[in-house]
Order: sequence, then C-alpha cells, then structure tokens
Amino acid sequence: MKAVFLLQWRRFYRKPLLVLAMFGLTVIFVSVTAAGGQSGPQMIPVYADESMNNQQAQTWIERLNGEEQFQFELMPESEARSYVAEGDVSQAVNLLEADYRLLVGREDPARFALDSFLRRIYSEELRLENAEQTTPGIRAEMESALSDPALTLSVESLQGEEDSFQYNGQLQLLFGMTLFFVIYTIMFSLVRIVDEKRTGTWSRMIISPVRKWQMYLGHLGYSFLIGFSQITLIFLLFRFAFGFELGDRFWLLIAIAACYTFSIVALGLLIISLITKPQQLGAVIPIVATGMAMVGGAFWPIELVTNEILLAVSKALPITYGLQALTSVAVYGNGLKAVAIPLLLLLGFGSICMAIAIRLMEWRSAS
Amino acid sequence: MLETQQLTKKFKDTIAVDDVSLVLRQGESVGLLGPNGAGKSTAIAMISTLMKPSSGDVKLNGKSVLKKPGEMRRVLGVVPQKIALYEELSAYENLKFFGRLYGLSGNKLEQRIDYVLELVGLADRKKELVKNYSGGMQRRVNLAAAMMHEPEVLIMDEPTVGIDPQSRNHLLETIRKLNQDEGMTVLYTSHYMEEVEKLCDRVYIMDHGKVIAEGTKEELKAILSDQETVLIDFDQNYPELFTKLSEIEGVQQATAEEHSLKLIIPKGTRLLAALFHEAERYGAQVVNVNVQTPTLEDVFLRLTGRKLRD
Repeated sequence: MKAVFLLQWRRFYRKPLLVLAMFGLTVIFVSVTAAGGQSGPQMIPVYADESMNNQQAQTWIERLNGEEQFQFELMPESEARSYVAEGDVSQAVNLLEADYRLLVGREDPARFALDSFLRRIYSEELRLENAEQTTPGIRAEMESALSDPALTLSVESLQGEEDSFQYNGQLQLLFGMTLFFVIYTIMFSLVRIVDEKRTGTWSRMIISPVRKWQMYLGHLGYSFLIGFSQITLIFLLFRFAFGFELGDRFWLLIAIAACYTFSIVALGLLIISLITKPQQLGAVIPIVATGMAMVGGAFWPIELVTNEILLAVSKALPITYGLQALTSVAVYGNGLKAVAIPLLLLLGFGSICMAIAIRLMEWRSAS
Repeated sequence: MLETQQLTKKFKDTIAVDDVSLVLRQGESVGLLGPNGAGKSTAIAMISTLMKPSSGDVKLNGKSVLKKPGEMRRVLGVVPQKIALYEELSAYENLKFFGRLYGLSGNKLEQRIDYVLELVGLADRKKELVKNYSGGMQRRVNLAAAMMHEPEVLIMDEPTVGIDPQSRNHLLETIRKLNQDEGMTVLYTSHYMEEVEKLCDRVYIMDHGKVIAEGTKEELKAILSDQETVLIDFDQNYPELFTKLSEIEGVQQATAEEHSLKLIIPKGTRLLAALFHEAERYGAQVVNVNVQTPTLEDVFLRLTGRKLRD
C-alpha cells in the first residue's frame, strides 16, 4: 500500500498542475467575489419615486430595518444608481407604494436572499394595511399583543436554534466554492485508476504480491489526502490571511471537511466504476460536480430554493450535508451535537458508494 | 516447474482458450507461437494469475496456484504486450516503484535497479522520463520492470512489437543471456517465427484457442520431413500461371506472393519439368528456383492453412 501511495505523490510532483489549478481557482474566485461582501449586514441603497412621499419612505425603511439581515439606507435615486454603477454594491431597491423593484448591477447570490426578504416584509405589511381598512386599530392591538404575549413558545431542534435563516455571503462563497472545486481535484485524481487499467500498470500490480485492497487504499488514501489538504489549506488561508470569521470551532470544520472528502472520494470511485473510459469521465465529472453544486447549495443558499423536487434531490447529495454542517458551525456557532447527523450521513453515503463501487469494479474485471 | 492442465477460458459465447496444457521445465526456454487472436495473451493472463480460468488448473512445482497465487506471483516476472509504465516518471522511478511492490528497499533496491538498467543498456539514461524514450527503449524498461524481483520464470507477451531492429536485437540478446547464462525459465510468446526459432528450445503452436502442435523445433519441422518447400521467383505476377502450378499433381500447399510462388511438395516430386513447361506456355520468365528445408512458418502454414501474421 505504501508503495502505491508514495507513487501517487511522486506523480503529483511531476504533474501538479491540476491540483494547483483547483486550489488557485478557489482562492481567486472566493477572494475576488467575497472581498466585496461583508460578514455583517449588507448595506442596500433604497430610493423612492414620486408615488411615495418622504414620510412614507421613512416608514418603510424603519419597517425594513426592523430585522438585522440587511441595512437599508434611503437616498436620492441618482445616488443609489451611482452606488450600483460604480460597483460599490451589487443591488439597490426602488420602493413603490405596494411593490418594489430591484436595481441589479451584477449577479450576487445575496439577491435571492434580498428578494425573498423584501417579498416577506411587503406581504406582511400589505396584509396588515388591508386588515386596518376593515378593522381600525388592529395594528396597535397586534403590536401590543406581540410585546406582551399570552403564551411563549420556545422551539429547539437537534440542529440547534436555527429558527431564522442567517445569510453570510462571505462564508457561503467560501464554503460553496471550496467544496465545489475540491470535487474536481478528488475525482480527477481518481481517474488515475482508470488510466492505470488502460495502460496496464494496474495488471502489473495485480500480479505482484501487493493485495488488491492495498492498491485501492494507496489510491484512495492519496485522493483523500489531496482533497482534504486542499480544503484545510483554503480554510486556513481565508481565516488567517483574509480574516474571514469562521467561528470558534475550527477543529470541527476540519472534521466536517474530512467526512465530506471521504464521501466525495467514494462517490468518485462509484463514478469511475460505472464509466470506464477516461474521455467519458472528462465530460461526466464536470457535469456531476456542477450539478451537485447547483442543487446542493454551493452557488446560493439551499434555504432559498423552494422547488420541492430540487430540495428532495439535494437530500441525496453529500455537498448539501457538507455545506449544512459547515454553515451550522461557522455561521450559527453550533457544536458537534448539532452536526452529528450530517456527518453520519456523509460517512454513511461514502461507505455505501465505496462498497458498491469496489464490488462493481471487481465484477467488471472478473467478467 | 510450471504447468497448465486443460486450461480453458470462455467469454460468453467465445472460447478464447480451449483445453490448453503446457509444461515449462526449469531453465528451459519455451515459445508460444500463434497468430493474433490465437489465445496466447489470454493463456498468459491465466498463467500469471491475472485472470481466473473457466476450468483447468495452473500448477507451480506441483501445487495449484489458483486459490493461493502468492507464491506464483513472487517467482514470476511478466513482460506485458503493452508498455505498462508510468510515462511521466523516469526509468529509475518506475523501477523503484516496481521493486517496492516486491518488498525491496534500501541498498538492495538501489543495487537491483542498477543491475537491471545495466542489463537492458539504459544505465546512463535512467533519469530521463519514460515518455521521452524511443519505443525500443520503453520496451527495454518494460522488461527491466519485470526483472526487478529476480524472478525464476519470465513470461513475455510479444515483447518486441513495434520496435526498431536494433532495439529488437538488444532485447532478444538480453533474453537469450537471461536464459542461457542465468538459467532463467522463459515462456516467450510471439507471432514472429524467427524470434521463436532463435530463442526457444521447445515450441507450442496455438490457433483458435487450442494447442495444435508442440515439440522441439526439430520435432515440429519433422512434421514436414517428407516434404520440401520450393520457392519460385518470376519476373512479374502471373495469377493464372500460379493457379495452374498449384494444381500440379503432388502440390500440397501453394502460397502466392507478388512475383513469387511457394509450393510444399512431397520429396522426390518431379516438379521442374512441369514448371518450365507451364511457364513457357504463359510467357513467364523464371528468375530463381530455391528448394528449402521446411521452417516453423511452413509447419504453421501446413497445420493451420494460414500464415502467422494473417
């Protein structure tokens, strides 16, 4: 096993480009895209048109700033447009009497969160206004009831007290892109097994005293280590060099990275057991990686997805659980107990994939 | 030392190897001869424990290796038909890896690498990447990798395919040395008759998955001992004349090749008179007539009705 494992590092030393490219792409992508993001509430310029007077606009601003997710600032339209045009912010909001418009300068995953937030607040406020027309004073009654509730309900779950979705653009990008790019690193390193079978070096190893499980372990150990190192180094880099706030439990993030890497190594092995031609793998791996990242919440928070089918599919993807666990620890400050289930799911997913993959490969080579 | 008993391999409806029994005695050099698709590589894959037979057995020193292949894998060196090396690594790095697979390390590993590189004549270029070597040099490293663990039996599956004559001669000379000077047992597979004639003491001829003949080179040639081969060269191609000549009484086999015709006839057949008579009738000029003793190629032709490289 040691010989096979060391050989992979020697080959990496000779051909390091792919791994370095994936590492570099993650760093560039996250640093360029997330540098403009903030870990605190995001400032959103707001302007109102003639349909609304200043008093009304101020009322809306107070209502919108009632929650801490975004910080809305009222300003003249020209100033708001200038913010967007110069790229200081990616979007601004145009308040209308019973609706709103988004002025979008560049694509930003936070747009979905902003849109969802505005829709919720507008919907609540407009319903309340409608109710006031038939029942005057209902607003005051409701506010009074909310400040002195007859019953207090406390909800806790195994996942912690995530009773409301908190969006952290920087960490969403960091985790999403890191877990996305590492899929390429791991899967392309596993393609070596297919390549060895094609060139005949695999057969050479089989007829040596080295056992088959040792051959697999040498390859999988390398793929695991290269993927795990990539995630760890990126987390370290962004924590210490870029000052990203990753919470107080860095060791738990590393443990999550290990479980996620294991599941991706196993998934990669399953894919190469199903598809045996390197050329086909070159096409399949990007499809799998991008598809998983899109559905699993690497490009935008899974909390924003409302399609039931996509949500159901996401439950079968390791990246969903990896991101869920990382966010739970870094954004919500949860501990091991809260991420135990995603971690067990990752390990279980990996074990099942690996068992099927090795059986399939052996069955193929025997037939 | 090594034997196969009624070795058979079936793939769905195809029988790739059919009831093949071979024997390799210690120190001898045995050729396995056959055209492409004869089943040689499949037979070798089973002997080297790479593939399980559908039926039959492979024995090393009387013990079956099918369930416990460990001992066989230690004594066997296999040179595959493909160049099975890591081309992005140097020859030295490749050999180091293959040596480690067999548990070699430290000084012993380094000494063995030096020895095999010397043997294949690449000691001075060991640091170069394999992808930068010529095809012949890659074939030599392919052989060296199989030699790293000092195997007692060396199995070679068409090791000279696609290489230049100089590298081919070097490789054949190395194999001859290993067999004659170091007493290594060799099973050499090829469809190049002259290589087998040069290297091997005994020969098995395979066709369509079966062994159709076996024996020493002399024994095999004796199959045609009451026959002789007549090679006639003409000034140009005469298809009709060639057909006519192949129908002469006594001609057992006729093979036309551009301007020449090869006939296998019983010894003592009076051919020349009829040959010149027919040549005159067709206005053909006979350039050369050569009466030869049969080669293994002729034996193969006689046994299978086709050429080795068909």
